[in-house]
Amino acid sequence: MNVPARLRDLRWAGVQLSGVATVAMLVVAVAVNTALQPNFWGGYALTSNFATFVPLVAIAIGQTVVVLSGGLDLSLGAQVTLASVVAVQVVDGRLDRLPLAAAAALGVGMACGALNGLVVALLRLQPIVATFATSFVFSGLALVVLPTPGGSVPIEVTTAYRDSVLGVPVALLAIVGLALLWRVLRGHRVLRHVYAVGGDAEAAYASLVPVTRTRVWAYVLGGLFAALSALAVLANTGSGDPFVGNELTLASVAAVVLGGTALAGGRGGAGGSILGAMVLALVTNIVFFADVPTTYRQLVNGAVIILALALAGIPALQKRRPAA
Amino acid sequence: MVLMPRPSRRWRAGIAVGALAVLLAACGADGGGSGDEAGGRPYTIGLSNGFVGSEWRTQMVEGLQAAFAEYQKEGVVDELVVESADTDVNGQIQQIRNLINRDVDAIIVNPNSETALDAVFREAIQQGIKVLAIDQAVTSKDVTNVVIDQAEWARISAEWLAKQVGQGGSILVVNGIAGHPANEMRWGAAKAVFDKAGVKVLTVADGNWDQATGQQVMTNLLATYPDVDGVWTQDGMAEGVFRAVQAAGRLDKIKISGEARVGFMRLWNAGRADGFESIGVVNPPGGAVSALHMAVNVLDGRKFAAGSISGNTVHVPIPYTVDQATFDQQWGKVSGESDAYSLDGSLTREQAAEFFQ
Repeated sequence: MNVPARLRDLRWAGVQLSGVATVAMLVVAVAVNTALQPNFWGGYALTSNFATFVPLVAIAIGQTVVVLSGGLDLSLGAQVTLASVVAVQVVDGRLDRLPLAAAAALGVGMACGALNGLVVALLRLQPIVATFATSFVFSGLALVVLPTPGGSVPIEVTTAYRDSVLGVPVALLAIVGLALLWRVLRGHRVLRHVYAVGGDAEAAYASLVPVTRTRVWAYVLGGLFAALSALAVLANTGSGDPFVGNELTLASVAAVVLGGTALAGGRGGAGGSILGAMVLALVTNIVFFADVPTTYRQLVNGAVIILALALAGIPALQKRRPAA
Repeated sequence: MVLMPRPSRRWRAGIAVGALAVLLAACGADGGGSGDEAGGRPYTIGLSNGFVGSEWRTQMVEGLQAAFAEYQKEGVVDELVVESADTDVNGQIQQIRNLINRDVDAIIVNPNSETALDAVFREAIQQGIKVLAIDQAVTSKDVTNVVIDQAEWARISAEWLAKQVGQGGSILVVNGIAGHPANEMRWGAAKAVFDKAGVKVLTVADGNWDQATGQQVMTNLLATYPDVDGVWTQDGMAEGVFRAVQAAGRLDKIKISGEARVGFMRLWNAGRADGFESIGVVNPPGGAVSALHMAVNVLDGRKFAAGSISGNTVHVPIPYTVDQATFDQQWGKVSGESDAYSLDGSLTREQAAEFFQ
């Protein structure tokens, strides 16, 4: 297969949701949740659910880009923390400083990503170990920037985040916006290179794709989405906390896998990860509304996610067989 | 790579667009809030707890369940919805949203953050739900904090230690976590006591409210400051501090402010034969029970009496203190419990009612 044909084939993959399995899981999750929670489609429940989704959706898109390039970023959660505490220190409760704070967060995220990219692509350290190490640098910096929880986000921001426009939750619009951003990036050369490098780095190199630069870009884009996640976290919490994002890291990897993106790189897209992130959050809700005793909740939560991860892997197995 | 036929892709994209359309339609159709028909017994109460790694929290949840069962028998309440798991602030926000969606009438929360839950508390208040924070006060004005006065808690043991070492005595301090709100309040009050009594504080170190860390820190401090008369420490570390002093063979010379937990009291009991004295101020997990009594009063529509609330904080009195005089009595009650057990206490219903008009 020649390269242009292959690229054309991949062009739609991201928006089109990488697997029927992911869509099916979301449908099942929504159906089960609706059955267990009578007011699932009520105004408050919808708004609050989408508000819960946004941070995870954003970080999952970032992780997708990194994974597609053949890497993995275990520092994304720490980047969310660092970007959020920097932003909250800058904004300091004043609405007029909001653009500056958002810019600062994005700058921090991309700088963190650039550092990861340099360490992984130039120094050629293993991504898992290298980003695990940088995660401590970032969370350490977050503690320096904001030693104790505090700082406040303008109330207009937290209110708007929970509002609806013509009946559509703002948080849902934010998710649509994130998907569009991915869609735009997807059409850009950098993302095509990311797919090529993640799929087969040597072949990409032979085709004059700048492999090292592309890898760095993947981490920078990961950091960009981590910063967007940080802004969502701030809008959601209304205040800064130097430990806020750390648990998002593994959830982002789980969302990517649920979305059908191959951890080996090169195959998949953020569309699936967005749905995967929603499935993850809904599972937590389902376990709660199913009245699972508190002591068993974490266990059941983990078991359901393992089941979902296994289901997400089935289409990949079928693809691996010779063409049927 | 196998090329997917185009119709199949369109089909999938179609499903996505269709699902989104249904979702948008649903959002548009139902803008009304849920369950504002609060008021009237029986009440549904939610508990949100974001940390389960300590016996203290387990005691807190179990104590609340026991007190709830009594109200349930009387038909005052119908359901206690417990959200208790190790989680971060994002997870606790989701916990609280789930409780709101469960249409609870009041939420009792042991918050993971002093500030970062304020926005979700506002969501609860807007749905007509009463929120009470226990153990750790929060900054949100919408929430009623039902907590012990950390300053008073620290003052009691600080005054005891100041009396023990006397004017001109020198002490070491093993605190919790610098910058943590409870730590700052406690140390601020204790320091004032020591300053007033003319006790010299040689140095202050952090033991992270952890026995092992407390022991390590104390061992280091003893090496640096061999001539001290006493140690002031907070709960969760006294056992470690005791062991460090014991290992240095100085239990007879150094006075230790203790804690009201069974592990420390076991050591205290063993040391009494050699004249060891200490004090343990109770930091009760039963605060959740006191908060439940208050929640029922609030849901019944009663208002806090003017003198019982300052700002949005209600200080629950410290139940009791274990000292030389009361040791035998208290030890008799709890000696069968595990080392991690905290001595407990809570307001009775009548006592809680006195906080109201």
